[in-house]
Amino acid sequence: MRSLVAPHVDIGSDPRRRANSWAVPDPAFSRALGAAGLIGMTWPKAFGGHERSPLERYVVLEELLAAGAPVGAHWIADRQTGSLLLRYGQEEEKRRWVPGMAAGEIYSCIGLSEPNAGSDLASVRSTARRDGDGWVIEGQKLWTTNAHHAHVIIALVRSEPGSERNAGLSQFVIPMDAPGVTVRPIIDLTGGHDFNEVFFESVKLPASALVGVEGDGWRQVTAELSLERSGPERYLSSTALLLQLIDHARMHPSETLTALVGRLAAETWTLRLMSASVASKIARGEDPALEATMVKDLGNSFEQAMPELIQAAVEIDPAGPEPLGLVLGHLLQLSPSFSLRGGTREILKGIIARGLGLR
Amino acid sequence: MSDQQRMLEEMAGGLFADLGAAATLDSDWGTIKEVALDGLLLGEAQGGFGGSWEDALIVFRLAGYHALALPVAEAAIAAALAGRAAGRGTVAAVAEGSLDQSRFDGVLAGVPWGRGADFVVAPCSKGGAIVLETAEATVVEGANIAGEPRDRLIVTDASMSRIDGDPFALMALARVAQMAGALDAALALAVGYVNERQQFGRSLAKFQAVQQALASFACEAAATNCAAMGAAQAMARGSAPFEIAAAKLRANRATGIGTAIAHQVHGAIGFTEDYTLHPLTRRLWGWRSEFGGDRYWSTVLGGPIVAAGSARFWPDLTALTR
Ligand SMILES: Cc1cc2nc3c(=O)[nH]c(=O)nc-3n(C[C@H](O)[C@H](O)[C@H](O)COP(=O)(O)OP(=O)(O)OC[C@H]3O[C@@H](n4cnc5c(N)ncnc54)[C@H](O)[C@@H]3O)c2cc1C
Repeated sequence: MRSLVAPHVDIGSDPRRRANSWAVPDPAFSRALGAAGLIGMTWPKAFGGHERSPLERYVVLEELLAAGAPVGAHWIADRQTGSLLLRYGQEEEKRRWVPGMAAGEIYSCIGLSEPNAGSDLASVRSTARRDGDGWVIEGQKLWTTNAHHAHVIIALVRSEPGSERNAGLSQFVIPMDAPGVTVRPIIDLTGGHDFNEVFFESVKLPASALVGVEGDGWRQVTAELSLERSGPERYLSSTALLLQLIDHARMHPSETLTALVGRLAAETWTLRLMSASVASKIARGEDPALEATMVKDLGNSFEQAMPELIQAAVEIDPAGPEPLGLVLGHLLQLSPSFSLRGGTREILKGIIARGLGLR
Repeated sequence: MSDQQRMLEEMAGGLFADLGAAATLDSDWGTIKEVALDGLLLGEAQGGFGGSWEDALIVFRLAGYHALALPVAEAAIAAALAGRAAGRGTVAAVAEGSLDQSRFDGVLAGVPWGRGADFVVAPCSKGGAIVLETAEATVVEGANIAGEPRDRLIVTDASMSRIDGDPFALMALARVAQMAGALDAALALAVGYVNERQQFGRSLAKFQAVQQALASFACEAAATNCAAMGAAQAMARGSAPFEIAAAKLRANRATGIGTAIAHQVHGAIGFTEDYTLHPLTRRLWGWRSEFGGDRYWSTVLGGPIVAAGSARFWPDLTALTR
């Protein structure tokens, strides 16, 4: 793995690209990874997968992230969409999308959030209306990461007119080039372009676009969450900064820096154990939803705290030009998003509190 | 967990729940001896139970959970290192003095239940460890902030032998296991209390601020238990220099967050002598310093990582478990 990844994470290039690298797209890298058999590793061979074990896949993921590899283009397809389609999708749609995903050529995005549905996801208002055999989609998604690179979006919409809350929702697979789909960029506070608005205006879909059971969208979405929440991306987003700190401490020896490296290493080690333990449980067919939520909450807090701790310990300009400063400045600005994306800190703690029997 | 480990857990759990924080060496050590828990880590050939560090984690964690006021971990580690089934041993944090081939003159400090110990295992300044016969030592009794005996032993011309092993690190691991248990127990108390206590016409558990605080505590307790398990498994495989340092740091961190939340949600009742929270939290505060605090372990852990450079960080971390 390490030798495969190395040529793609050029040390000479901008060191900031290694931070939060699961949001850094590089289609050439994704294709190379697909050709090496490292996307869709657990999927059936009939769909371009490699029928490897979930734990083999886990090791590959953490190696990619620890190296700061630009996995953003295919990340969502590999983590979620491919598996979702294989599990719930109709045959035609599986054939259409999954092999390209495994090849690192087809990318996807997740259409959950809307202007009035953030943490309160059950208030989604985008709709699917029956139209002959097929469907027509209307509405808007918001904060859609990767929509400008994606070939396909999985959208959660209201398929039963007049339904309330988490009833009457369904998931649909929508090609991004379907007539009526528009993507508008949203620039984040770092000046970067990762997320978008996605508009659906009378988007016509065939019957096969319904993913899983009509009206079962809520259950399907929540069942994915353990998978989405406990992966190594939930604690490794700032590892590029820890690596810079190690080299800085080597050149400027001080007990403060050595101790900080020690503390950050202890936390990384613990989170890796926790995340891997959830992965093993998922591999055994269990659903460790509560542990997965804890991993995300602890992991996000850790990767979010690291830039501040390092800024306090090192006198360095976070605007650069030193690599440590550049990565620090970049992560300081990105880190607020770590405890928002994929479910906010408060929502996660609410889930944990329910697990403790408090609500 | 194996069937045998489940039996061990049940036996130790029941026993420690009965003995708890009110146990005393004089009246209750016999009970521990009867079930031979002091021989937990000693080889079977030497008259011990031949347990692994995973077995020890189960027992030491339960000792912490029940705030057991007996030196089970100390005795088990001393017996295993010295290879002795007879008598009660304990482990000193520090030994200062002069030694020749077989005699030692000096002071042993930070000795848990040093009073009446037949022998003491201590870290040796020249590497490895020493075993000292201490039945004749002069004891200056002391205690940690939780009231657990932490004595000074002054020994003159004591018989001594050199052994391999790292008693300081093993005791740090034992403390991590105890801290994992004590954090879980304090969390259980807090959850139970907020479900019962009513204010503003409903139980405290219904307030989101309380829920969110306890969720943070639960994450800390889970992280400490996971770290304890990781370090114990590494010891069971042979040695755990990285893991013990990392686990002690993690347990120390969880202690600050966990004890603060446990006390906050309890209000004033948790601050009383009668209520059963302080036997856990005061131990946690004491144990945070014992056998290496943050400053010690963070430099022990960080030093080699910095020296090796960033390219080795991830390969070395993953090599620990593969
Ligand atoms: C970088 C990034 C990428 C994203 N990518 C995607 C994507 O690809 N697809 C997608 O669908 N979404 C995506 N999101 C959206 C993300 O899921 C939402 O931001 C998140 O669910 C929160 O919704 P919101 O932003 O509307 O905040 P709100 O829900 O309005 O919350 C604002 C604040 O109030 C708190 N709050 C809300 N409800 C409660 C409550 N009941 N109790 C206590 N506190 C509460 C929240 O925790 C938060 O702190 C992304 C977000 C970010 C930042």
